[in-house]
Amino acid sequence: MQALIPDYRRDLEIRRYPLYIYVLVPLAALVLQAWLPRILGRFAYMDLPLLVTVYFALNRRSPIHGTLLGAVMGTLEDGLTQGAIGIHGIANTVCGFLAASIGIRIVVENNIIRMMLNFAFTLLSSATMIFISRVLLGLGWHTAWLDEVLRAAGNSIAGLIVFPLLDLTQIRD
Amino acid sequence: MESFLSRYRNLIVLLAVLLAQVIGLAVQVRKPLAAAPGAAGGPAVHQTKDGRGVMLIRLWSASLVTPFERAIHGSGEGLNGLWSEYVDLRHVKDQNKDLQQTIDRLRLEQAELREDALQGQRLQAMVKFRQNYVYQTTPAQVIGTSGSTQSHVIYIDKGALDGLAQDMAVITGDGIVGKVRDVFPHTAQVLVINDQTSGAGVILETTRIRGILRGNASGQPQVINIIADQRIQPGEHVLTAGGDQIFPRGLPVGVVEKVLPDPERGSFINVVVKPAADLQHLDEVLVVTSLDAHLSPQQQADLATSEDLKGAEAAADAERKKAAAEMEERLPGLKDPNAPNTPAVAPVIGPDGKPIPPPPVAPKPLPAAHPDRFSPGAAGDAPTSGTDSGADTPDASTDSNGAEKSEKPGKPATPKSSTPSAPAKPKGSPTTPKTPQFSGRVQ
Repeated sequence: MQALIPDYRRDLEIRRYPLYIYVLVPLAALVLQAWLPRILGRFAYMDLPLLVTVYFALNRRSPIHGTLLGAVMGTLEDGLTQGAIGIHGIANTVCGFLAASIGIRIVVENNIIRMMLNFAFTLLSSATMIFISRVLLGLGWHTAWLDEVLRAAGNSIAGLIVFPLLDLTQIRD
Repeated sequence: MESFLSRYRNLIVLLAVLLAQVIGLAVQVRKPLAAAPGAAGGPAVHQTKDGRGVMLIRLWSASLVTPFERAIHGSGEGLNGLWSEYVDLRHVKDQNKDLQQTIDRLRLEQAELREDALQGQRLQAMVKFRQNYVYQTTPAQVIGTSGSTQSHVIYIDKGALDGLAQDMAVITGDGIVGKVRDVFPHTAQVLVINDQTSGAGVILETTRIRGILRGNASGQPQVINIIADQRIQPGEHVLTAGGDQIFPRGLPVGVVEKVLPDPERGSFINVVVKPAADLQHLDEVLVVTSLDAHLSPQQQADLATSEDLKGAEAAADAERKKAAAEMEERLPGLKDPNAPNTPAVAPVIGPDGKPIPPPPVAPKPLPAAHPDRFSPGAAGDAPTSGTDSGADTPDASTDSNGAEKSEKPGKPATPKSSTPSAPAKPKGSPTTPKTPQFSGRVQ
């Protein structure tokens, strides 16, 4: 329990990154998300834009920042699909806001916590998208829940690689 | 007020962003009109034609991502090409020579086939039957996907500047892939047939059952709205039906993988199809840009060459037949052209024990219009007349000797013979009265 309580002297400080990281990393996530299924086929169980949103929201610890980043990333994801613009946008917005809110309250340096958070946020994103498409919009789309669970698992594993790499880019005092 | 805003700033921003996106969604999705008053309108549908603002977002997204995808794809191709096109060039010259010969041969074959196709279309036009044919395709490379499991779209490296337009069919050599949904200047978005919002008219090859092909939640294409039918079995081929004005008729779609009951409607089934094209690993596709008969100059030249060759072949064939006919006339006859078409009969033995040679064939007289007793074949004259006029009597039930055919049941009737049949005929054989004939008139 002690590990989850932030140390106000160090853990509550806002992580800062160079400006080009804020541009390049989301862009790279979008490009890879669109390109990797060509290599992995239907086994590309990951959502890199969501992963990047969660990472910056957790580390910046700013709900507004997480909200806006999630909205932009989600909207761009929607732009690459044939569906309505806003489905991914709303899901990522909610995830970004919640990730930032959680990042304020708990320590997110632990890999297990990061895995659990990624798993939970990916499932939340899937649930939000399904809610929007089926309930809010009434689109008769069907969902394969196993694929969504696998996507969440894939995101958790990808987070173990991506988060430490992004940690290296933060500005240290 | 200021403290309220600062205190709930995060929530206010969140709600504002969410509200803006919800409004945006509401604009894009419409509820279909009910078919009849009081009837349910069915599930909502996403507008197939995007508004200006939505199109702008799609354009920005594609412009942001596709250049990098194109660069990644190009660099991969470049590395492969560096090896295969500059380093590994063994036996290329021989292969090139063989391929050139093959191309020449295939071009002529293609021209012949096109000629037949054009003829078929002319015949179809005569019977007012319209059918689309693939005439012009543009090859394109797949450079990316949507990246979403809910959305099965791909991006190709050809766009409006390459002549692509919306609703063009996208195929591979194996089968259909999808249709062009959005076109940007240098790229295009293709909606793949395994997406839940796609639709293609298909027909089962054997059972001739028609349906609509659409993706399911697992990303497998399936034919929906089919009434349960025991005849549909796995392995049956599925073809495009041609009624959707996008895919030409008869293109392979895939084979039936399994038949599942429709979970929402009990009497209907969903036929899951294993696509003929590998939709998960698409590299190169063909966009059908034209369904009209516009032949390129090269194709027209090939067609003319084919017609010339075909004309020369026909002329040579006719010449050969003519020469064979002339030769047949000049050669000593192996068979008498005047000989009647009769099977061989046993030689007639004369009173001296020697076979009597068959007399020359005499033309058969036509039946007299007004026969009298002097007419050949009249009663009492038949055995010595030297003619077989009795065979030509209208009474078909008698043979050449006047004997009834039914006299020897189960045995073929006596073949006609121009020889006097009296010697071979047993005495006292029943004869039928012959119709008096007059041979001097022609009816």
